[in-house]
Amino acid sequence: MSVHDPMIHICDDWISIKLPDWKTILAAQNALSASNHWTEIVPGLDSIAVQFDPALLSPDDAARMASDQMKNLTRVVSHSSATVVIPVCYDAALAPDREYVAEKLGIAAAALPSWHASQLQRVAMLGFMPGFAYLESEEECHAIGRLASPRQLVSAGSIGIIGGQSCIYSFDSPGGWPIIGRTPLRLFDPAKNQPALLASGQTVRFQSITKDAFDNWQREENA
Amino acid sequence: MKVVKAGLQTTLQGAPFNGSRHLGMPAAGAADCLSLALANFLVGKPCGEIAIEITLTDAIFEFDEPCSIAVVGAAEYVRINGHDHPQHQPLKLMAGEKLDIGPSRPGCRTYLAIAAEIHADGLLGGQSTYLAAGLGGFHGRAIKAKDIIPFSQVAPAVDLDRITPLNLRPHYSNNHVLRVTRGPEAVKAYEGVMDDLCLRPYAVGARANRMGIALEGAPLSASESSNMPSAAVFSGTIQLPPSGQPYLLGPDAQTTGGYPRIAQIIRADRHLIGQLGSGSRIQFVHTTAERAIEIYREKLSLLSSWLGQINLW
Repeated sequence: MSVHDPMIHICDDWISIKLPDWKTILAAQNALSASNHWTEIVPGLDSIAVQFDPALLSPDDAARMASDQMKNLTRVVSHSSATVVIPVCYDAALAPDREYVAEKLGIAAAALPSWHASQLQRVAMLGFMPGFAYLESEEECHAIGRLASPRQLVSAGSIGIIGGQSCIYSFDSPGGWPIIGRTPLRLFDPAKNQPALLASGQTVRFQSITKDAFDNWQREENA
Repeated sequence: MKVVKAGLQTTLQGAPFNGSRHLGMPAAGAADCLSLALANFLVGKPCGEIAIEITLTDAIFEFDEPCSIAVVGAAEYVRINGHDHPQHQPLKLMAGEKLDIGPSRPGCRTYLAIAAEIHADGLLGGQSTYLAAGLGGFHGRAIKAKDIIPFSQVAPAVDLDRITPLNLRPHYSNNHVLRVTRGPEAVKAYEGVMDDLCLRPYAVGARANRMGIALEGAPLSASESSNMPSAAVFSGTIQLPPSGQPYLLGPDAQTTGGYPRIAQIIRADRHLIGQLGSGSRIQFVHTTAERAIEIYREKLSLLSSWLGQINLW
């Protein structure tokens, strides 16, 4: 990779690097994290970006440095961290788009929880809000698409799905993903040393829980 | 300090959050870091300390203890108990006095620095307010009338003769020239879009806040399939949604986005984003990344003669 590599784009204090797949992005994130030149390292779905202090580094030096650091990427797939189990209540009360999604998928609404919870998911990246997770399923799936008009308020913990991609809302916020359930876990807790529950590269499995279990769990989380 | 009138959106803001964008945590922090730095310096504080950011409308505060303050920004006037006082120098307030900071005219934001430590919620090494998630600052929210803003009595020594040199005072205006580098997607199908962006005048639309600013002007040609795999965005990134109306991201913008990133406002000019209010006019000017860092370093060198070590964001 050279500074004039078409896969690298240089702005004045950040550079964006296109990468072929999520394993390379994850390996790049690890490799770049070992350097103290980057003030931010932000994985995307098919790229990674690093920001630097332009008082200290020139953009060309930054690009050269990033290329060097990414030369011998060891493709450590994060099997090091165990699969995170996320409890989800798929009860209709917490899943306003259950029927809509089931119809799009051509399955019964009652079968949706076991279908969704059976898939192994991977955290592609965090974004949108602190701790908000974009997940990619290992299984092929029809595209479902977003809602025609976004909701003004989606509750924190809500699970959205647009097909092979799911997401978990970390805060009450507006949102356009169809919602099929809710987890009682807090995705982002500023009081914790590591405030975000998930990190990119982690594998996740959903586990269906009852509404009672959800209510109890949420009471404990908020206690 | 008691809030008598809070104004449209008043928040505690200082340095941005750093190094947590991979967690989805945006920068937040003062939208106009230069005015913040100048205000903090007048009360003897480091440039990125927490101050009070006031947006567009006037705000009134009442002090129950004597206190030194400084005001820098777009406010039309600064009044203590009804009497006019200047910006850009420390002001002494007696217990019970009322400080009235006027509406932004022209410009958008004003900073009130206080010669005491303002208590703010901390997380991820920062204390600025991030409104969308209710984090940091004053309980994660904008300040309201009747709030009491707590601060320590231990005031740093304030040099009352310290006055911002005239040549370093920002010029507040509703007309801005903002320099941009090409964004990662301003190639191939979008190559001409960047040139068009710099040829046409733009105005700040009604949708303008700390998260972003909808720009109004002749629409740019957006490709039909203008969604792309989500990728990193920063404050000052200009996105091109399918409508063709460019969208300029602010300090509270999300960390990744799915619209083509056609341009990036250079670091040296990013503090001006904080002064863009509805109706402001903008002319974008294309520059290179190399030239942009020369401009940035020249600006830092000019400012450091007064402010000492400083960085802008």
